[in-house]
Amino acid sequence: MSDSTATTEAPAEPPAPDTEGSEPKPNFMRLFGGYLTEANSVMVTIYSLLLAFLIGAILLIVSDEFTRSTFSYFFSRPQDAWYASRDLVVESYTSLFEGAILNFNTLEAYRAGDAEFGNLLRPLSETLTYATPLIFTGLAVGLAFRAGLFNIGAQGQLIFGMMGALIVGFSLDLPIWLHLPLAIIAGAVAGGALGAVPGVLKATTGAHEVISSIMLNNIAALFLVWALGTAFLHSETKSDLVSKPVDDSATLPTLLSSLNPSLRVNLALIIGFAVAALVWWLLSKSTFGFRIRAVGFNEHAAATAGMRIGSTYTTTMTAAGALAGLGGAALALGVSSGGITTNTALDYGFSGITVALLGRANPGGIVASALLFGALKAGALSAQPDVPVDISTLLQATIVLFIAAPALVKAILHLRTPRGGLVTLEAKGW
Amino acid sequence: MAVDTAPAPALVDERAPARHLRAGIVYAVLGLLVILAAVALLGDRTTTVAFDKTLTDASWDAPTRTVVLILGVIATAAGAWMIAGLPQRWYKIAGAAAVAAVVLALLFWAYSQEGTVFRAESILAGALFLSMPYIFGALSGVVCERSGVINIGIEGQFLMGAFTGVLVANITGNIYAGLAGAMIAGSLSTMLLALLATRFQVNQVVVGVILNLLALGFTSFMYDQLKKADGLNDAFSVPVISWGPLADIPVIGPVLFQQKLFVYVGLVMVAVVWFLLYRTRWGLRTRAVGEHPAAADSMGVNVNRLRYWNVVAAGLLAGFGGAWFTLGNSLAFNKNMTAGLGFVALAVMIVGRWNPLGVLAGALIFGFTTQIARDLSAAGSSVPGEFLQMLPYAVTLVVVAGLIGRAKAPAADGVPYNPGDK
Repeated sequence: MSDSTATTEAPAEPPAPDTEGSEPKPNFMRLFGGYLTEANSVMVTIYSLLLAFLIGAILLIVSDEFTRSTFSYFFSRPQDAWYASRDLVVESYTSLFEGAILNFNTLEAYRAGDAEFGNLLRPLSETLTYATPLIFTGLAVGLAFRAGLFNIGAQGQLIFGMMGALIVGFSLDLPIWLHLPLAIIAGAVAGGALGAVPGVLKATTGAHEVISSIMLNNIAALFLVWALGTAFLHSETKSDLVSKPVDDSATLPTLLSSLNPSLRVNLALIIGFAVAALVWWLLSKSTFGFRIRAVGFNEHAAATAGMRIGSTYTTTMTAAGALAGLGGAALALGVSSGGITTNTALDYGFSGITVALLGRANPGGIVASALLFGALKAGALSAQPDVPVDISTLLQATIVLFIAAPALVKAILHLRTPRGGLVTLEAKGW
Repeated sequence: MAVDTAPAPALVDERAPARHLRAGIVYAVLGLLVILAAVALLGDRTTTVAFDKTLTDASWDAPTRTVVLILGVIATAAGAWMIAGLPQRWYKIAGAAAVAAVVLALLFWAYSQEGTVFRAESILAGALFLSMPYIFGALSGVVCERSGVINIGIEGQFLMGAFTGVLVANITGNIYAGLAGAMIAGSLSTMLLALLATRFQVNQVVVGVILNLLALGFTSFMYDQLKKADGLNDAFSVPVISWGPLADIPVIGPVLFQQKLFVYVGLVMVAVVWFLLYRTRWGLRTRAVGEHPAAADSMGVNVNRLRYWNVVAAGLLAGFGGAWFTLGNSLAFNKNMTAGLGFVALAVMIVGRWNPLGVLAGALIFGFTTQIARDLSAAGSSVPGEFLQMLPYAVTLVVVAGLIGRAKAPAADGVPYNPGDK
């Protein structure tokens, strides 16, 4: 990184050593300001978010026809363009916020006594609902990252998990205490089976997991289309491409529907938190996790220490697939327990990549960023005709682009390099 | 080439027979399976072959069982020969014959159903046309990776090219302006990768995948926004170039002399990139930078500048390939319309061993597979259409798994070069 520090011309940058000891008591503001202008991982995250929302605002302005038309006479009446742009951006981001956190209209109604408390919680419940699968897929990508593997296959693994949970969910007749866990495990097993393929291929032939898992994504999506059309899976009552519904004994119970039936958030969220805690324990306290991290840091050193690289790749990818499969089970047994379609999986798997990158592959960070991106998704879906729904994908990708390239943020904003260097994530080449 | 090499001690005697037990057994078993299937399953079916474009009335009915039997015998014989031992130089030929025989047998079988006709000219011409995105994508990958930058973002550059091509064509009303716009858009999106890979030295695989997501989000977002206005996403099509009387030659005519602009540009670009890589100073420097950047640096090559411009130039190719999806197919832009073909193009690059000529061969195989899958599912095959659509992806998986261990990537592929720390 030496050449990029040399080229950064930070105007307000003090000579580096004087913060050490020559100054007797650096006051709080000075320390705080120093922290703000340093490219540490917290500030890079914050600046990435701000930059991404700025870029999103510019794109909103450029792509909106009316606002663009006000720019055609910018030099005669610049205030028109300014007000139109400001209103557009404020309205778009407000409607995202209202769909994700708190709807101000409902708040008014609640104050006036026209709406129940449950109505007020609806946006939050939606955010949590969309965040739930993202926790699982984010963990699936993040766990693989720690072993130096880039698992883009979470989408396919999630689809397989959906199908596995669905099949156990409607075909067995069992009491709920046995049926629900079995269906969830079936999802994990199906996802794990698909996840194992890139791991085995990488371990035995050296095929890069990015390409093999992308191919499996496409294959899994097509397989789902075919499977939904078969008599075994296809709904007996509906003619369009919908699966049979899951039995009540395999449906995940909702958490808040006693307040208001429209609150969809269900037990899968709690399972997600628990699994995140489990993954944290696995990574930081268990031998398996130590092996994963050792292989991820330096596979040659790990091999020298007697660890088997190939089997670590296989087990890590299987575990990652199982995590994504759990996300699929959460969908099939939760919000889509009435029957899954080809559209149920949305882009949860691909968003899992962004979640893992923003969370820096730490389980805690992954949960936090899953909540953020769940909020983005819930907001974008509720604001849909006014704001294009893909703004959530766009914002996510922009955020993690900056996260993955902290040197770019540092250069744009003229930040200082922190003591330990910049933090980035690694995945290996061919 | 051979004149300046002294006769090296022959390590392997080309003429001495050698056994290839494993390959031989595989081919022999495959051949026997084909024979068994022919005897057991194929009754008195016939396969109709037609040259549907030049000789419209002519068609030949071949008895499927006999043809498949002969092909099975060929494959078995090749396998048996390998087991018995054959001269080294015949090994590849025998292997190719066995594979070709098995593939042909399967084709004859697939087209033996009632009502399906093997329209040879349409299928071959379509296969060449369908191999174009693979050619452009893989050539773009070759230019990047030969200089040591992994470009996973081909999919995203395809999307940007496809989107911008239609948009610019609609705004200007000129399809060639659209093509230029597509190239520039592809190049601008690789410029970001180039900047991040050379100046900021980030992880190229991670950033490549993010750039794909960014391109997907950007094009889908703009698609929704521009949908509100009329006349920004109408389909434009490039004309078919017909070479007069040459186009009437059976088989060759429709395949080579009656195609769209993309096919000719693609074939020319294969030759151009090959020439540039292996016969010019730029090519030598590119390959040196991809194999051993420190050595190239010590000889005065500016490693990161060369990489930067190579990646930007590769974006032109990928953007042009992106325009194939919309302008080439006379389609309007649609969300995620590239459907993962950018990644298949990466697999083609690996199959082609980072060599433009290999890329051409690989792309033709993938184009042919795609075309057969489409043709069979349109003709109403007994295999579900979804499985036929999986074929290119499945082939990619097999090829990447089977070849990558043996195909050597450029040594410095994906490794950022920092002149400071050697």
